[in-house]
Amino acid sequence: MFSYIVKRLGQSLLTVAIVIVSVFLLLRLMPKNGYFTREDYVSLDKEARTAYLRNLGVLDDPFTQFSRFMSGLAKGDLGRSITVYPRSPVLEVIRDKAPYSLWFGLAALALSMGLGLGLGILMARYKDSIVDGLGTLYVTIVRAIPSLIWLFFIQQWVTALLGWPMLFYEDRPISWILPTISLALSGIAWYAIWLRRFMVDEENRDYVKFATAKGLARGRVMRGHILRNALVPLVQYFPQQVLLTIAGSLLIESIYSIPGMGGLLVNAIRQQDNPLVQALVLLYAVLGVAGVFLGDLLMALVDPRIRLADARTKGGEA
Amino acid sequence: MSETTILTAEGLEVSFTLRGRRLAALRGASLELCRGETLAVVGESGSGKSVFAKTFLGMLDKNGRIERGSIRFDGMDLAQFRSERDWLSVRGKRIAMVFQDPMTALNPLKTVGEQIRETAALHRGLDRKTSRTAALETLERVGIHDPELRYRQYPHEFSGGMRQRVVIAAAIACGPEILICDEPTTALDVTVQAQILDLIKSLQRDLGMSVLFITHDLGVVANIAQRVAVMYAGQVVEAGTVDEIFRDPRAPYTWALLASLPQLGIKGEELYAIKGTPPSLFKEIKGDAFAPRNPLALEVDFVAEPPEFDVSPTHWAKTWLLDPRAPRIEPPETLKRLRERLAADRRRGSAVAGGAKNAAQGGSR
Repeated sequence: MFSYIVKRLGQSLLTVAIVIVSVFLLLRLMPKNGYFTREDYVSLDKEARTAYLRNLGVLDDPFTQFSRFMSGLAKGDLGRSITVYPRSPVLEVIRDKAPYSLWFGLAALALSMGLGLGLGILMARYKDSIVDGLGTLYVTIVRAIPSLIWLFFIQQWVTALLGWPMLFYEDRPISWILPTISLALSGIAWYAIWLRRFMVDEENRDYVKFATAKGLARGRVMRGHILRNALVPLVQYFPQQVLLTIAGSLLIESIYSIPGMGGLLVNAIRQQDNPLVQALVLLYAVLGVAGVFLGDLLMALVDPRIRLADARTKGGEA
Repeated sequence: MSETTILTAEGLEVSFTLRGRRLAALRGASLELCRGETLAVVGESGSGKSVFAKTFLGMLDKNGRIERGSIRFDGMDLAQFRSERDWLSVRGKRIAMVFQDPMTALNPLKTVGEQIRETAALHRGLDRKTSRTAALETLERVGIHDPELRYRQYPHEFSGGMRQRVVIAAAIACGPEILICDEPTTALDVTVQAQILDLIKSLQRDLGMSVLFITHDLGVVANIAQRVAVMYAGQVVEAGTVDEIFRDPRAPYTWALLASLPQLGIKGEELYAIKGTPPSLFKEIKGDAFAPRNPLALEVDFVAEPPEFDVSPTHWAKTWLLDPRAPRIEPPETLKRLRERLAADRRRGSAVAGGAKNAAQGGSR
């Protein structure tokens, strides 16, 4: 197990390093005039532009820039935003915005798992019944219709129906409900359909028949064998989903005006805010890779067969 | 022999609905299982032997149902059981089953010990600690060394033969009266097969269980069983003691089955094989189901289904050949060789079953 962790950790760090270097290098290939706002670009003359760029440090050779970036990173300094939030430290920008995305994301994830797994269990338990049919209908609707349509529908109609605010207000908890639900809808569908599928898969396995032949009641076989084994492939994605809630949702945050992380990366790229892009890509890469890494660890924890590589040397065969 | 009988199946008819069509898997199958005996059910693939066994546990697939017949066990008719509640008093507790493929019969994510403990806790109402002790004892009983360590291991840490021992342990953990073994050695390699057969034999002796042993391997039959039921196309066509079936078979299908034993072949001569294929169970079968493949079939075989004729108190067969009006038809020459070998074995003083075992074992594996 230990060597497995070390190996996976090494792979994860390497992935993050590759992502950082490649994003860094790609950003240096972009045209320099992206560093100006339109007004600045027009109003400044050539020398002033060069001075501005030199001041930003983007005229130094890439190695100098990279080592500056890395040494800043070591000190916990991610640099300052250039165009999106001029001169604000990137860390501060993230610190201001991340909590919104995180809390909405976590609430939605809890909702997705609770309702989604519940629905999945019901659909598998009462396969081919009306429950299963309605569940499938829900999943199909959520996944087939572009989310923009039902998201707007919820915002327009449900708020009108219940008299709730259409936008997010930090001081009015009632305005938090719809964004959370909107955020959870596709998650519910995801958990439900996959859990159902894995449970149905497990249900047809020999060991389930044997467990039944041993005299275990269906409910116990469901809980103790089918559900437990069906959760294994889902467990893998759990850490990733928790960590990446911080990235927020572009769509939902923008329609409800939530000041979260949702559109930040897109804006930063569009306005060529290199320090911000670098910091965000670094953050998301670390979180994403950490999520996969933790997911693998969790898998190894719940599935003894993954520990096989280590166990084999101890000799289990008889 | 009703007081020695533990389970009686009579005229069992089971059908499955497959894509809107009805498949008659059992067409009036009957058998009697006696206390403390091992009864082998033999037949080729698709003859309905597994379906037969599954009805005793109420484990037919969802699209299958018992249409007619009875399964009497301890004053109950298992064929009438509908709800899970009914079955839970019997299944796994009084009638247990061992599956064919030990590689898939165990939950890969649960420790071996837990899967045995589960049965003990459930049926004997034991708490965690005592059921653990019971599971450890059972592991030891099925010949697994170092049970304390093995208890904590997972199925993938066991070899095929060892897994089958675990499956058997899980099945017998609550001391069932009947153990159904559905081809328990088919998926194992030859050396391990013999060990598992010996294990089943010794467990049966020690625990006084009745064993219903499903197999298509006649060598295994001779090794393990006292009585044999031969199945064809969803019916038992002949039943008797191992001695009677091997030395004095009466049904043409049993003849054909025995004649195709590779051991009876003569070097250089082509091995006997039954011509044709079993009848489709989707269609209505008229007369004797084996008649179309039987070169010795009588005219009546194509018209009417033969009843069961008693040959001795322990031996009966479903064939018109036993009707007093039937012409005298001799079993094929090859079977004389089997009889001679059995006789030779007997002269050498070995037990009948042992003799049949020697005659029948080896090539059929």
